[in-house]
Amino acid sequence: MDFTFTEDQLLFRDSVKDFLQGEVTAETVRNLWDTESGRSDALWQQMVELGLTAMLVPEAYGGLGMNELDFVLLAVESGRVALPEPLVETAMVATPLLASLAQKDPRCASLLEKIATGEARVAVQHSVNALVADAHIADWLLLPQGDQIHLLARDQVSLIAQDSVDPSRKLFDVEWQGSDETCLARGAEGVALLAATLNRGALGAAAQLVGLAEAMVQISVQYTTDRQQFGKAIGTNQALKHHMADCAVKSEFAKAPLYRAAYTLATRPEHADFAVSHAKVVAGEAALLAAKNSIQSHGAMGYTWECDLHIWMKRAWALDKFWGHAGFHKNRLHHWLLKPTAKIGADKTFGEQG
Amino acid sequence: MKLSFSAEDEQFRQEVATWLQQNLTGEFAKLRFRGGPGDEHMYPEERKRWEQKLAEGGWTCIGWPTEYGGRGCSIEQQVIFNEEYARAGAPGHVGHIGEGLAGPTIIAFGSEEQKQKYLPGIVAGTELWCQGYSEPGAGSDLANVKTRARFDEEKGKWIINGQKVWTSLAHESDYIFVIARTDPDSVAHKGLGFFLMKMDQPGIDVRGIEQITGTCEFNEVFFDDAECDAGDIVGAPGDGWKVAMGLLGFERGVSTLGQQMQFQNELNQVIEIARRNGAAKNPAIRQRLAKAHTELKIMRYNSMRMLSGQGGSDGSLQKEALIYKLFWATWHRTMGELAMDVLGPESQVLEGGPYELSRLQAMYLFVRSDTIYGGTNEIQKNIIAERGLGMPKEPRVAAK
Repeated sequence: MDFTFTEDQLLFRDSVKDFLQGEVTAETVRNLWDTESGRSDALWQQMVELGLTAMLVPEAYGGLGMNELDFVLLAVESGRVALPEPLVETAMVATPLLASLAQKDPRCASLLEKIATGEARVAVQHSVNALVADAHIADWLLLPQGDQIHLLARDQVSLIAQDSVDPSRKLFDVEWQGSDETCLARGAEGVALLAATLNRGALGAAAQLVGLAEAMVQISVQYTTDRQQFGKAIGTNQALKHHMADCAVKSEFAKAPLYRAAYTLATRPEHADFAVSHAKVVAGEAALLAAKNSIQSHGAMGYTWECDLHIWMKRAWALDKFWGHAGFHKNRLHHWLLKPTAKIGADKTFGEQG
Repeated sequence: MKLSFSAEDEQFRQEVATWLQQNLTGEFAKLRFRGGPGDEHMYPEERKRWEQKLAEGGWTCIGWPTEYGGRGCSIEQQVIFNEEYARAGAPGHVGHIGEGLAGPTIIAFGSEEQKQKYLPGIVAGTELWCQGYSEPGAGSDLANVKTRARFDEEKGKWIINGQKVWTSLAHESDYIFVIARTDPDSVAHKGLGFFLMKMDQPGIDVRGIEQITGTCEFNEVFFDDAECDAGDIVGAPGDGWKVAMGLLGFERGVSTLGQQMQFQNELNQVIEIARRNGAAKNPAIRQRLAKAHTELKIMRYNSMRMLSGQGGSDGSLQKEALIYKLFWATWHRTMGELAMDVLGPESQVLEGGPYELSRLQAMYLFVRSDTIYGGTNEIQKNIIAERGLGMPKEPRVAAK
């Protein structure tokens, strides 16, 4: 029994954190709002060089052969800086899906190699999301249809942009026509792969939400420490302290379910629904509360476009609804819990589905 | 990260389960699922005998080092023991303050003489302890201790005068540990001493406090020239605060596991009722049951992270330790509300007279104290904001 990360996992997290905090500032994010794609190829190449896109690519295809547990802390850091690039979607959502099919399908194998080297980015559609994020910069798209999963190149589909409340989000309707040729999987296999994709997507969103929540609390603690009224820092007031403490409770205590979900996805993915939904629900709650209490703590300043806070708030609001909103995941939780066969005894914390 | 138990640990689980199955029988059978929070006044004599039964089997103080009579169990084994203990429905430990607080404090800070004098009785389950911290004027402001300790050269003893309050199970206890002011001119956390005292003496008077449940688990303890042997101060005069804070650290350790297992039993009982009376079909109730279940999981995951050794390696656990009290107390209060909503109108009818509450009714009332004792939720939030997040401290009125 060991519920901790390894030294290597933590060291790598630290170096990626340093890199992201150096390269992705509020100013960077704002500058990208004014560009056509909203994305930076240069930044993507830097992440490729750090090996981030290769982490979950199997070694046979030029990757590092790691898993969701190795990546989850990096997804948290992506959230902390409100990273606009689709790193989590490519590295942790699309890549394992392709890896599941790579042995029997050379297209997937070659695509994995290109993801590792940074030559390709892949967007993923799923029925819970309706819209596809970052389809405009994807070289390939993984598109479900019923129990089928298709792989199409971007020039085989047409995209209709849907502007988002979060100026960093790039969302698209995708119109496409599949064929036997483009179909990678179908039937029971397709269903299982789509279910696993949903869980990885939800884990990735949950991890980013935890990072977003912590960032907002940090920004607000700083603001309420600096801002003076009535001759003292407003942060000395218990009303504001308690706002921030409530956020800290939510975000600190979202971590254990998040790590637990990553562990289960990495070790027993077929049993991960409960753990993933738990993580997504609590991470969403943490981020939404952090957004609400942060803007309140900033007073009128927080309501301005100029104040950076809305970069994080809007991402939190977006990701909370992505890869299954709270209602979807809460339903999965109570359906599981109240099944007659549910394993809920005092000895079942770390058992199957626990 | 590896979230499973070794084969050796699973064998240990079997051993615990078998022992409990064989021994939680006869006169002890009625103790199953009793004596938890809000139910601690039930069957004190039988539960004292059960404590000694546990001791005979070597199942008290299992995490203590063997040199002090413990079993030297690993964290994993302690987790497993607590899980199996709860699964069997074994009753709330009457000895938990001795095993979880007094004993570890004596092991960490006590003299060799104190260890020899007090630890065996705790291990044997024959000597029970209570905790003398709060006073009428020292609640949230715990350091505002007014109880005084004066060393009487002639008698060669410490003489204690003052009053403690909210002392759980004082009326059942053989010993009390007390913080008292050794330096009459000192203020706040300076000049305090930590004393180990016998309850059965002329200078100590215990009066029960009748709670909203109609029962008395808490007490007032009056010290009127009460005596404490010279050798029964832990550390030096003036070290009291350091020792008391060290003790609070033990409170957040393995002892949280037993509490969580009791919570799990309560929740399972509520889920059972909801299934039986149809409340489990109500979507609003389903959501709340799921929330209660998942939040209890969070508590258990966090305990496992804290106990996993490496502790705090992702830089956040210290904050989590500060948060834990607020979280579990709020969880338990919400759980009480949920239990009443699951019961519906039935929740308002007494089991019998005079004022005989059902287990869940007693729990519902008792949980009102959870968010108050041991630091109110509001105080906990101040601590989280100031110590956990580094927010600026509130200007304090200077101590007089």
